[in-house]
Amino acid sequence: MKYLIAEDENELQQSIAKYLGNDANVCETASDYQEASEKLELYEYDIVILDINLVTGSGLDLLRKLKQQHKKCGVIIISANNSLENKLEGLDLGADDYITKPFHLAELNSRIKAVLRRGQFGGEDSIVFNEIRLDTLARSAYVNEKPITLTRKEYDLLLFFITNQGRVLSKAIIAEHLWGDDSDLLDNFDFIYVHINNLRKKLTSEGAKYIQTAYGSGYKFIAD
Amino acid sequence: MITSIIIMILSGAALYIYTKWLLQNEIEEELYSEKNRVEHLLEQNPELVGIPPIITAEKTEIAQPNILVDTLIYDPLQDEIELFRQLSGTKNINGQNYMITVRAMTIESENILFAILFTFLVVILLAFIFLFYLNKSRNEKLWKPFFVNLDRLKSFSLRSNQPLSLEDSEILEFHELNREMEDLTAKIQIDYRNLKQFTEDISHEMQTPLAIMQAKIETIINDIDINEAQFNEFSSLQTDIGRLKKLNKKLILLAKIENNQFTGTETTSINTTFKETIQNIQELAAINIKLKEENTIEVPMDGSLARVLCNNLVSNAVKHNSNNQPVLVVIKDGSVLVINSGTEVLERPDQVFERFYKESKKRDSTGLGLSIVKKICDYYGFTPSYRFENNKHIFQVHFVV
Repeated sequence: MKYLIAEDENELQQSIAKYLGNDANVCETASDYQEASEKLELYEYDIVILDINLVTGSGLDLLRKLKQQHKKCGVIIISANNSLENKLEGLDLGADDYITKPFHLAELNSRIKAVLRRGQFGGEDSIVFNEIRLDTLARSAYVNEKPITLTRKEYDLLLFFITNQGRVLSKAIIAEHLWGDDSDLLDNFDFIYVHINNLRKKLTSEGAKYIQTAYGSGYKFIAD
Repeated sequence: MITSIIIMILSGAALYIYTKWLLQNEIEEELYSEKNRVEHLLEQNPELVGIPPIITAEKTEIAQPNILVDTLIYDPLQDEIELFRQLSGTKNINGQNYMITVRAMTIESENILFAILFTFLVVILLAFIFLFYLNKSRNEKLWKPFFVNLDRLKSFSLRSNQPLSLEDSEILEFHELNREMEDLTAKIQIDYRNLKQFTEDISHEMQTPLAIMQAKIETIINDIDINEAQFNEFSSLQTDIGRLKKLNKKLILLAKIENNQFTGTETTSINTTFKETIQNIQELAAINIKLKEENTIEVPMDGSLARVLCNNLVSNAVKHNSNNQPVLVVIKDGSVLVINSGTEVLERPDQVFERFYKESKKRDSTGLGLSIVKKICDYYGFTPSYRFENNKHIFQVHFVV
């Protein structure tokens, strides 16, 4: 997949590029409005990650241009402003998702994958990882085409793991992905441990041992 | 008032004494002239006896100088004993001494006093009525701008962008007061706006550095070979960034409510919102959350704010619950009660809705949840309250305005 990351904060831009580049994706970057505008006219991308507040112009203007040119690419807006109007304006203009700074790279990655999955960008309704298959429409999971019963959270967890395979995920990131703002209700992350353990047991009993503990308290989904 | 009463009493007394003295003088003068006239008459007619009891003349041997006395005489005409002033003295007329007595009825002191008092009272009453209405109408005119301005001051809100405009008055003091008030409120309003803007800007500006920090930590965890202790440190950093993030989000939410950026007024079912909230939170909470619905509440309000309101109330109860007792949410009579058990009463229950008021040492608590509840309630005119009864913390929001 080919990504364009239009973000004027260099540090953030590089981190995003590095994280997404790990999956053998091609990540190009643009640090201001002009650069982003030029690259968008010259090349085709699968996903554009667009910061609304680019130093020399608005990301929303770029989005407008993009949609006028009928470019077939997914757009994810990142913004420091989580106001509803901005969000709605972005989505109305044709953005596929909207994420507010600060965000976890794993979260951004899983949003990108979700956008890619939504059909028109060459994705499909199924996510396959070795013998595991997830049906994203029915929200059900299969190991060797044998259905396994997962709770809603376990399904979300598995999807998050597969999307961010090979990466270390701390409990904090997982908690935030699964419960969002409510996650500050957790006194500690033992609760996550229960969910992960249950999921791990269900997968292991079917022979799929991919969830590994990393550094004692983190997790990694890896195909040995 | 007291001085005027004293002055009135003194002047009344003076008037009384003076009038009495004047009347007495006049009567005595009259008595003397009357006596003279009788003497003249006696010269022409020695047998004159006068008109008793007013005038009497009788022959006498002893000579006596003029004597003035008060005397009481029965007046058959009025069938009353009256006070008379009497002048008596002898006069030698044609070699014969005559005792001449003339009398005049005097006005009694009480009568004088009564007359004075009566006149005074009438005058005072009239003056009072007149002055009362005069003052009233004048004061009304004079104070009208003042009261109009007082009302405007009362309804003045820092949050509105309307400057305080006061009605001008011709009275110099009021005019100056108005000017100072207008200047002062304008200054406060500007300061308030700046402060609000500052909070909002800071919150927004913090998002990008936080995003960079978070991204870098993820990069390090994934790309660099670190040991377990280092990973734990990074994890804890992530958690703390998460806290800052939530704090920021809540501050921005508060600013948005203050800026009236929530305009949705769809009919929102409080029952449904609580049901959904409890379902979400129940997943995370180790304790049981029970919902008891006695009636339904529907209010016109922004759906997202309703969710924030419910969420903050329930999560506060879950966080500060003790003894693993269930948290109870009761919906009745237009109110919602969120009840959790506690061991002791709060130290400063009146400040429970204040920003950053914390009694527990829980790290995760931002100290903003309940102040957001209060803000939302204020925004829609709901009444939030807190009380501690039978080892239970009870937060109540009365929805019916």
